[in-house]
Amino acid sequence: MIRGFKAIFFISIGLSVLIGLFVPNEHVSFWWEGIPAFDAIFGFLGCILIIFGAKALGHYWLQRDEDYYDD
Amino acid sequence: MTINAIHPAFIFIAGGLVLPFLKMRLAKQMAQLLIPVAAFIDLLYMGQGTYWTYPFLGYELILGRVDKLSLCFGYVFVIIAFIGMVYALHVKEDGQHTAAFLYVGSTMGVVFAGDLFTLYAFWEIMAVSSVFLIWYRKDKKALDAGFRYIMVHIFGGCCLLAGILIHIAGTGSIYFNPIGLDGLGSTLILLGFIINAAVPPFHAWLSDAYPEGTITGSVFLTAFTTKSAVYVLLRGFPGTEALIWLGAIMAVYGVIFAVIENDIRRLLSYHIVSQVGYMVAGVGIGTELAMNGSSAHAFCHILYKALLFMAAGAVIYVTGRRKMSDLQGRNLYRQMPVTLILYLIGAFSISAVPLFSGFVSKTMVVASAADTNRALVFLMLHLASIGTFFCLTLKLTNGTWFGKDTGDSGEESIEGAGEAPLNMLIAMGLAAVACVFIGVYPQVLYRILPYPVEYQPYTAHHVINTMQLLLFAAAAFWIYIEKLGGKRTITLDTDWLYRIPGRLFLSFCEKPLNKLRSDVQGSCSTNRAFVVSLSKNPFTVPLVLAESIKLKMTPADNSERREEIAARLHQLKSISYNENRYMISIGWSVMGCIGFVSVFALVFFCL
Repeated sequence: MIRGFKAIFFISIGLSVLIGLFVPNEHVSFWWEGIPAFDAIFGFLGCILIIFGAKALGHYWLQRDEDYYDD
Repeated sequence: MTINAIHPAFIFIAGGLVLPFLKMRLAKQMAQLLIPVAAFIDLLYMGQGTYWTYPFLGYELILGRVDKLSLCFGYVFVIIAFIGMVYALHVKEDGQHTAAFLYVGSTMGVVFAGDLFTLYAFWEIMAVSSVFLIWYRKDKKALDAGFRYIMVHIFGGCCLLAGILIHIAGTGSIYFNPIGLDGLGSTLILLGFIINAAVPPFHAWLSDAYPEGTITGSVFLTAFTTKSAVYVLLRGFPGTEALIWLGAIMAVYGVIFAVIENDIRRLLSYHIVSQVGYMVAGVGIGTELAMNGSSAHAFCHILYKALLFMAAGAVIYVTGRRKMSDLQGRNLYRQMPVTLILYLIGAFSISAVPLFSGFVSKTMVVASAADTNRALVFLMLHLASIGTFFCLTLKLTNGTWFGKDTGDSGEESIEGAGEAPLNMLIAMGLAAVACVFIGVYPQVLYRILPYPVEYQPYTAHHVINTMQLLLFAAAAFWIYIEKLGGKRTITLDTDWLYRIPGRLFLSFCEKPLNKLRSDVQGSCSTNRAFVVSLSKNPFTVPLVLAESIKLKMTPADNSERREEIAARLHQLKSISYNENRYMISIGWSVMGCIGFVSVFALVFFCL
């Protein structure tokens, strides 16, 4: 089942990029919207940035033991 | 159209108060469902206009300002009140239902308030009634969190009242129209509003209190306070530049804190902060598209967030566990598949997956940022979208229903777990249907928005770009999936500022400050007693003082002398004042008077 799921996932990733190359953008607001598959790149890097940014903040500053506030 | 005579707030408040007096359980349950239905029918028959005005202290109170904006929020509040009540049908404590109805009713009062006094009155009822939905959980954590919650809201209410009074003193008008940010009064009103909208750094009450509420009460909590705050912001501060940045920051802020959270309802609470960020940013942008976007997103958010909280509540209800570190690896998907599917519909909606409700509302706000050329805001909102998808669709699903056990419990399933009671499943089902229906047929939502809608969410480019964004975020998640399990930690937030220094302040008051007080009080009362003893007989004071000094100066080894002086002192102190004893002849008095007058005359005439 997991193998099938993986296959579907990779096919849809590929398809989304491929179709994205052929769909014109009628409404360009910013320069980066001209970069091919910009949203794919932004999604991937943005997710990594969020994961590591939040983890670092938590690890070095914000995360404490569960009984931190207990008397 | 003629207006019916009942304010929707009255239906909920009166209904909530009558509910405990109904004897049969079936009658109670019927009433729980019929009250929101009655309010909905009431709303459908309300034409636009101004109703229920009363003179008050020379001003005019307006309890019913009915227009497209207030109706839009009114509809969704009534819908979610119904769904929330279906979810809470099995709860036998009347007090919870009464608190919920008072909470819903007061929110309706806020939404239809046409003046600032009415707004303030309902605003405070909202705070007081909602805290009971936390306190009814009854454990110490809930009681403490409830106290912190109500303290923050009382502070916010005080800011609002002060702002309203200054505003009225300045403008002479109590009407609740666009206020704009100019001067102290409007700043305080805005502060009162943004505390309820959970804008950082004033947001910690939300992530602190909502996870501690009762399972059914938290569903109501997620819907009303923050979204009524969005409504009053839309009404009072459209186009306020500061709100754009506050909104964009809170969208990202909520996501970052959610990533490192372990408690499932606390994670969801951080996503309320994040999603309300979109709405606040929309208010700040202030164009028709943005205002429509904020209203639409509030509408959709209430539905999908309630759905997510209901699903999380069902998991907690069934398993008694609230942390991912206690749930992951227990294969809950086998025992609660229906809840999982309903949860996923909520998660897809909040993540703005095409065909789900978030896609047709969130993107309006993002598009308005693009239309007004705000590149950084656009990217921040986009980033928050990725984080939302990552946290809710991927991380929370994995951590609650699937995942690997990171501890050493060796548990493969949770004993006795199964689907939640039928009424809970039906409530989740209703919310899920609403999420999908709005996603597939957005016109039903667009028709009730405050401005005409020309926005078209389903363009090929938009759909494919969203899919790229989400799929590649999922790819990044997949790579790091092993590192993303729940950890047994808590996350500090701005509530630290009043929890730890607050506790230090309390112990400072209890110990050093209290000691200082008792020392001062002790020394004052000693001095007072001394003065009282002197005043018994002023004539012996000089002699008493002289003997006291003598006693002090006598060496300690000369006990004979000391005893002698002490005896004399005792004797002197025991002589009480007697006017006959100290009476002097009248001649002395006359001489004293003449002497005084002479000195006075000398000073008066010669100097």
